[in-house]
Amino acid sequence: MANLLWLQGGACSGNTMSFLNAEEPSACDLVTDFGINVLWHPSLGMELGDNLQQLLRKCISGEIKLDIFVFEGTVVNAPNGTGEWNRFAGRPMRDWVRELSDAADFVVAIGDCATWGGIPATAPNPSESQGLQFLKRGHGGYLGAEFKSKAGLPVINIPGCPAHPDWVTQILVAVATGRAGDLALDEFQRPKTFFQSFTQTGCTRNMHFAYKVSATEFGQRKGCLFYDLGCRGPMTHSPCNRILWNRVSSKTRAGMPCMGCTEPEFPFFDLAPGTVFKTQTVMGVPKELPEGVDKTGYIKLTGAAKAAAPAWAEQDIFVV
Amino acid sequence: MVVPVVENLTRRVGRFMHDDDLRVELQSLLKGGLETKIEPRAWDQAKVDFILSRLREIDAGDYENKLVEAGFTLYPWGEGDDAQSCETCMYYVVHRRFCELPELMMPVEADWSCTLWRI
Repeated sequence: MANLLWLQGGACSGNTMSFLNAEEPSACDLVTDFGINVLWHPSLGMELGDNLQQLLRKCISGEIKLDIFVFEGTVVNAPNGTGEWNRFAGRPMRDWVRELSDAADFVVAIGDCATWGGIPATAPNPSESQGLQFLKRGHGGYLGAEFKSKAGLPVINIPGCPAHPDWVTQILVAVATGRAGDLALDEFQRPKTFFQSFTQTGCTRNMHFAYKVSATEFGQRKGCLFYDLGCRGPMTHSPCNRILWNRVSSKTRAGMPCMGCTEPEFPFFDLAPGTVFKTQTVMGVPKELPEGVDKTGYIKLTGAAKAAAPAWAEQDIFVV
Repeated sequence: MVVPVVENLTRRVGRFMHDDDLRVELQSLLKGGLETKIEPRAWDQAKVDFILSRLREIDAGDYENKLVEAGFTLYPWGEGDDAQSCETCMYYVVHRRFCELPELMMPVEADWSCTLWRI
C-alpha cells in the first residue's frame, strides 16, 4: 500500500480532470489493483477544515507515511514572496508544499504549471509563480535545484497542458509498485519513456511533412501543420501520437497544430499577438527547425522533396 | 445518370483547364509590364501580416491586384542557394502548378516568385 496525497496550487484543475479520465490504468485501478491509497485529493478528498489540516500535519510529522506527494499547479509566491495569494488549510500553500515535499518519498509534478510554471508564470508573472523545480528552462524553481525527495530522486516532472491521463497513472503505478528506479529522466526530469520521442512521431501527416505539402487551414485533412500553422510537433517531446487522446486522436490528427505544451517554454513567445498558430519565419525560413536540422540542409531537403512529391501527396486521400 | 467518380473527375479536369487559361492570362499581364510590389520583401512577420491584410481586401477574382500586392515576378527572386521561386515555396502545389495560400489561390508557374515566399 502506497499513500498518495495530491494538492493543487495555481491551477485550472485541468490535470485533475485529465487524471480522472484515465483508462490504462484508470484512477480506480490505482486503488483496486495497484494498492494506492489516496489520502486526499481536491476533487476526491472527504476531509475539510481542521480534519484536513490534521491529516497534512500527520503527513509532515511522519505519523502517516507519505509515499507520493503529487502537486498540480504553480507554487504561488505573490505578493512579495509571501504566498498569501494562494492560502490553503490555514496557511500559504507554498509552506505546505515545502514541508510535504521534504516528508515524501517521491514528489511528482503534474502539468506545465507544477513542472515549469506554465501559463501563470508567463511574463509579467503577476502571481510570482514557479514550478516545483524549474521556472521555464531555469533549473531551481521553488524547491531548488538540489532538492531530492527521501527516495533520492528529484521531482518527477510530467508536463502537459494538461498531461495525458495515462502518463499520470502509469508513472504513479511505477512509483507505487517500487519501480521508480527504472524511470530514466531527461534533463528536464521528464520520464524518457514518454518524453524521448517527438509529438511528430506517429503523426498521420508525416508523409505531408516529408513531401513538404502544407496545410493552410485548421481541420484540413491534407498537409503538414508545421510549415504555416505553427505546429511544434517536430520540436516537442511527447508521445501524443503514440498514446492517443481518448484512445482515438491527437491534436495534429484532428487538424490542429501542436502547441508544444510539454516543453518548458510553453506558452511560446509569451503569447505575443501573431505568434500562436503561425509559424514564425525570418526571410521566409522557419525560425525554429525540426530538432537537429540546420537551415542549409532544410532548404536543400525542401527543394528535393517538393520536386519528388507524388500527386497523391497533394490531395486529400482520406475517404469518408 | 453520372457516376459520382466520373462527375468528380470531370469537375477536376474542368478546374485544371480553367487554371491553364488563367495562368496564361496572368503571365501575359506580367509580361505586359504590370508593375508589382516586389520590394520591400516580407522578411518579418509584421510585413507578412500587412501584405496578407491587403490581399484580404481584394476580391477573390481580382487576380491582377493580387499579382500587384503579392509582388509577383516571372522569375525567381535572388540567386543561387538564396533563390526564391514558387517551386520551393510551401504554398505551391507542384502537380497542379497552383498557389494554395488562402489569400492568393491561383495558378502560377514553378519559376515565378512573390514576396510571400516561405519554405
